[in-house]
Amino acid sequence: MDKQQQNALITAAKAGDAHAFERLINHYYDVIFKFACKWCGNANDAEDITQDSCIKLARFIGKYDGKSAFTSWLYRLVINCGKDWYKSQSRHPAPNPEALESVKTESRSEDSVYTNQVLNAVAKLPEGEKDAVILVLSEGLSHKEAAKVLGCKESTISWRVHEARKKLSAQFKEEQYYG
Amino acid sequence: MDDQKLDKILKNMDTPAIDANAKKRALNLAMAEFDSVQKEKNAEKEKKFQGFQILSRLMGISNTETNKRKRNAMEQKSHKKFIYGGMATAAAVIIVAGIGLQLAPNFDTAGRAVLTQPSAQIKPDQRNTTGGIHKHTLETSAQQDFDSENLEELDSLAPQPSSSPDRKERAKVNADLLGDSKNMPEKKQAKPERELGRTASKAMPSKDDAVARTLIAPMAPARSITTIMHEAEETIALAPADIMTNQYQDVGRDKFSDFTENPFKLVTAEPISTFSADVDTASYSFVRRQLNNGVLPQKDAVRIEELINYFDYDYALPDDKTEPFKPNVTITESPWNAGKQLMHIGIKGYEFAGEQPNSNIVFLLDVSGSMNSHDKLPLVKNSMKMLLGSLKPDDTVSIAVYAGAAGTVLEPTKVSEKAKIIAAFDRLSAGGSTAGAAGINLAYQLAEQNFDENAVNRVILATDGDFNVGINNREELKDFVERKREKGIFLSVLGFGQGNYNDDMMQALAQNGNGVAAYIDTLNEARKVLVEEATSSLFPIAKDVKFQVEFNPNRVSEYRLVGYETRALNREDFNNDAVDAGDIGAGHSVTAIYEITPVGATQSVDPLRYGQKEYMLIEEKHNLDNIHTPPDFGQEIAFLKMRYKLPKEDVSKLITQAITQEEHGPHCPTKSFCDYGINADTQFATAVASFAQILKGGKYTGKMDYDAVIALANASKGNDPFGYRAEFIQMVRLAQSASDMQP
Repeated sequence: MDKQQQNALITAAKAGDAHAFERLINHYYDVIFKFACKWCGNANDAEDITQDSCIKLARFIGKYDGKSAFTSWLYRLVINCGKDWYKSQSRHPAPNPEALESVKTESRSEDSVYTNQVLNAVAKLPEGEKDAVILVLSEGLSHKEAAKVLGCKESTISWRVHEARKKLSAQFKEEQYYG
Repeated sequence: MDDQKLDKILKNMDTPAIDANAKKRALNLAMAEFDSVQKEKNAEKEKKFQGFQILSRLMGISNTETNKRKRNAMEQKSHKKFIYGGMATAAAVIIVAGIGLQLAPNFDTAGRAVLTQPSAQIKPDQRNTTGGIHKHTLETSAQQDFDSENLEELDSLAPQPSSSPDRKERAKVNADLLGDSKNMPEKKQAKPERELGRTASKAMPSKDDAVARTLIAPMAPARSITTIMHEAEETIALAPADIMTNQYQDVGRDKFSDFTENPFKLVTAEPISTFSADVDTASYSFVRRQLNNGVLPQKDAVRIEELINYFDYDYALPDDKTEPFKPNVTITESPWNAGKQLMHIGIKGYEFAGEQPNSNIVFLLDVSGSMNSHDKLPLVKNSMKMLLGSLKPDDTVSIAVYAGAAGTVLEPTKVSEKAKIIAAFDRLSAGGSTAGAAGINLAYQLAEQNFDENAVNRVILATDGDFNVGINNREELKDFVERKREKGIFLSVLGFGQGNYNDDMMQALAQNGNGVAAYIDTLNEARKVLVEEATSSLFPIAKDVKFQVEFNPNRVSEYRLVGYETRALNREDFNNDAVDAGDIGAGHSVTAIYEITPVGATQSVDPLRYGQKEYMLIEEKHNLDNIHTPPDFGQEIAFLKMRYKLPKEDVSKLITQAITQEEHGPHCPTKSFCDYGINADTQFATAVASFAQILKGGKYTGKMDYDAVIALANASKGNDPFGYRAEFIQMVRLAQSASDMQP
């Protein structure tokens, strides 16, 4: 779907065109799901969060004002949905990093064990840092864009990414040392 | 670990594959939410008092002629409200059923969705239906206790979305649901009775009671609650175990029979053209759906005549009722090729003047797993409920369903017991495979059980066209339908959904069953087919309508019939009454367009070198021998013959008319619509025909492009009370942008 087509669909959906919305959500479901997977580190939760996000999107698409990129707006919506979802899950006080088995790189890759350890570690990062790392390093957003999504200053993002990098490399140095 | 490595790992992070079912489920929920948001928006716009129309719908309306006229007038004024009213009726039943929600899952239109995920899934539907119904019942029953602020409060009473429980727990709920189904009816019943009783005793409504109070308002559906509960067990038995399994999604299996466009034919080689009438409109709605999705339709999905006949044209009616219709012929310049002309042949069946005949209708609904999609079963249910409004209280309705097994959901019931019928629709849910043949058998049994010689006996099949279990031999099914047709039971087919839409099969069945095949993509289309055109869809005034045109080689050198490729008949079939053809309902209009080349104009096909000579030789011979001079047909360019049978007769009648160059349209409403004295309808039909042919590749439309179609349609749009013609223009624009996007 190219940008122009996308914008046309968004405009139509905002105006109440169900067909346009259907196409839009059909396309973005995958985007949301992938992002949610990375964010919460487990496909089951991601599915639920994605479902909630889709419903939210249906309700609030009229509020999208076009000031930021649609994906940025969407990321914010998904992160909020995810937080709400975990809040409502009294049995899951926080994302469960042990359930990471479903998010992994293809096992044919030789260092997949190592990769999984890294992903595990990312999921265990404090919330703000995790959001920043996933948006910037995994989704490829600029610090400025990520700041918009998370509603904080650009410098905060830079700092969080820096902190996260520090923590991760320290952790893996240690492990390599012992391992 | 260095930064680059971390970046690389995170960038290339794989995510698990997307579960198609989870996706489908989420999309359905999102769509439902989207719809409800739109409805809320509309409701805000139309907050003012909506009259007693909804109330009258709830109580069942008498279908007298005056009432109908009034309703039509209302419809024209506010389309949306009317549909909304219908939805409210449906919603009323749903919410009454929903009282027992705390104790057991409900069976509402969302059907399976609600069952599979009790908490999160209920959210959109629940909020919508509760919210919506409070407003309506309040308004219609004119309870003065509540002002709009209370309404807001009521909305907030709707169950808040609780978080979805753990996956395992969900499974457990599902298991419980099956296991406890036997206890369910009593449990469910106990609760609402208590609530109703409590509210009756209190004078001032508290918040809680407000809900129950509003629920008392629609008394008729309230009666149905017991029915629903008693039959909850049965529903579960009917819908097989895989009701819990996944939503169905299928892509790219739509089936259309392939055909090529009619080419130009030399009059000297083939002077006679024969075809059957076609009043189906399925192709138009299917094309519209595709275009709305931003893609050009498959070429085989475009049947030109169905696009043309989707619209109502104002052709002159016969002078007296001895004939069901009369031909209207107009000749115009062809916009496609310079020098050629278009010959429009239009007929319109007369409208019923007196009482509408009784009907004995059996709904045969596909509830297989493939129907489990928001544009299928829920739309089917709403459409069927709409159709009820077009029937008389004395008419009978029965419902049969087919999936893994066929079953009767509703024995023949009078339309006056509307609540019972609606309740029966509402407890349907989709699941299982599709045994179309067994279902058809059952439906005909029901129709026979209640057969009325003086009524219209009709089976209405609603399906996505998937007949994959049982007798799926196409010929066998066709023969079956044909035999039943001879007994007086007709079949109409309503197509739904997309993905594995089997157009081919549905056309075949409807044609053999003397019925129409329509494709329903939106509730608005359902309204057009089942309410507005109910009389034409349900009550045939002529069957086996055939056309035969003979061209005069002295005036016309070649001709091309636009569309009707799938309806072509052999020359000898015209006089053979055993050969089946299309049917025309009350008020239906049928248009056929020929593109003709007058003698002397540039021909598309080279004339015969030897044939021509021979033809001349015969003439010369005639002259020489002077045995007899060929009769002089003067200005006659063609001779039109039509055959039809009255609904209950077996011998056909013939209508003939000579077509001369001077034929003009029946009338010309205002000068601006009439270029060259041609009436707007003819121009509009030409625009539609051009569009359809461009969609099929534009082999014969010359330089005509989408812009020209839009210009022509705009100029000839005319009165357009329901906006169908405006919608057509919109469709052309969509097609234009879809084709621009093609590589």
